[in-house]
Amino acid sequence: MPRIDLPIDKNWAWGGSSGSGITVAVVDSGVDATHPAVGAIDRAVALRWDPETEEVISTDGPHEDLFGHGTACAGIIRRAAPDATLWSVRVLGSRLTGKGVVFAAGLRWAITQGARVVNLSLSTGREDYFGLFHEIADEAAFAGVVLVCATNNVPAPTYPAQFSSVISVAAHDGHDPLSLDANPAPPVDFGAPGIDITVPWLSGSTIVSTGNSLAAPHVTGLVARILGKHPDLTPYEVKTVLRAVASNAVAQGASDDN
Amino acid sequence: MSPDELLRELGELATSLGPAVRPAGTDELLRSLTETARRLFGAAACSLALLSEDDSELHYTTAAGEGADDVTGLRISSSHGIAGWVVQSGQPIAISDLDNDPRFSRGLAEQTGYVPQTILAVPVETPQRMLGVISLLDRDTRRPGAEQDMTLLALFADQAALALASVERFNVLGTVLLAALAESATSNDLVLALRRAAGELRAADADLAALAATFAALARRGAAERRLALAVLRDIGEYVERRPPRPR
Repeated sequence: MPRIDLPIDKNWAWGGSSGSGITVAVVDSGVDATHPAVGAIDRAVALRWDPETEEVISTDGPHEDLFGHGTACAGIIRRAAPDATLWSVRVLGSRLTGKGVVFAAGLRWAITQGARVVNLSLSTGREDYFGLFHEIADEAAFAGVVLVCATNNVPAPTYPAQFSSVISVAAHDGHDPLSLDANPAPPVDFGAPGIDITVPWLSGSTIVSTGNSLAAPHVTGLVARILGKHPDLTPYEVKTVLRAVASNAVAQGASDDN
Repeated sequence: MSPDELLRELGELATSLGPAVRPAGTDELLRSLTETARRLFGAAACSLALLSEDDSELHYTTAAGEGADDVTGLRISSSHGIAGWVVQSGQPIAISDLDNDPRFSRGLAEQTGYVPQTILAVPVETPQRMLGVISLLDRDTRRPGAEQDMTLLALFADQAALALASVERFNVLGTVLLAALAESATSNDLVLALRRAAGELRAADADLAALAATFAALARRGAAERRLALAVLRDIGEYVERRPPRPR
């Protein structure tokens, strides 16, 4: 894969930035703000589907993590971008019915409330939601909000990871949190560490886990650092910067073995 | 009879007969699938859990290996645990030190007499619906190619989803039939009538569906069994005719 021939390297991209001034929303199972590896959660909202009124109900204020996974994602982002502002948007954990609508409402909440980066380590393969998530992905892109989405491991499309305006991430077997690979064959954009990653979990514990859902927050953290240093970049420009610093990119004419 | 009524009756008939003509062997296929996965991955156990109709529970329908007999039939909430997260997030996950997870469903593990150290769980879904989760416990991660386990298990999950979707089609055969006709019809009136009829179709009566499926299973065993079932059913019919009406 040829290198993008611009004066962009990791130092230009995020050197000296800790994500300060950038708000990152973790749309997941909630975040345990008392976990030492997570630190402060500035805003928290929990959304659920009310089958009686057929509406999404949202509750502001601190909440617990119902599974452990949101805490894991927040920990990875905190490690990469220690001074970023973290929000927790809990969309998983209550009933599964209406899940797609709750997920969409949580994502919209993050975009309209002013998050700059949203980590989505979840996806839906349901065709019914194609249109809804496409619309939200466009809203995010036009508002300058970067959506970082974990892909699934199956060839079938999952949303919103499938869309070109989001940054879609799969796990590769590296462990350097500042290293990512660009994928020449879409729809997956990047590979980032996601295999046997030590992450914060429930009740102050840590576990070793594997999944694309843990690769996405590595990229989310890097995006927060990039935006901390270059706050005016659009989502597409952020993707270009990530592509420019990909570890598997080589100079034109150079061998891939170099 | 109006064309609308005719279509509705046709749909209802198809939905009633669906369970009787459902392909046999899905349970055996899923059992074989979990056993094959268990052996291929060198795992202690492999299980398939399906979401209940209202999505609130995961029902362990099929299992192979350690604790298989005890886990089969168990129902757990889909709102917690690793399997719950997988069906909620649509994402596969692996955890390699479960004893560090303070809320890991140890109760479940202890009920089945097997406490695993590692789990790999992937979603089972079709483009229409999340169906459930396949879990592997304590797979051999030192085998060559083990780094591809998540992708490979997802292929098993796809097979399970195809088998389950095929069964589901026979459970709502009338709706499937009318929708397929609407898809291929060229006249606008016919398309509208078919769509209307498909939309109004009710689910099959559960007892009738069970009766049809039981008869189909007996019929497959042979002519003698079919005759025996018919004779017993006729006797029951005569008895019901003869007995005094039940007080209301």
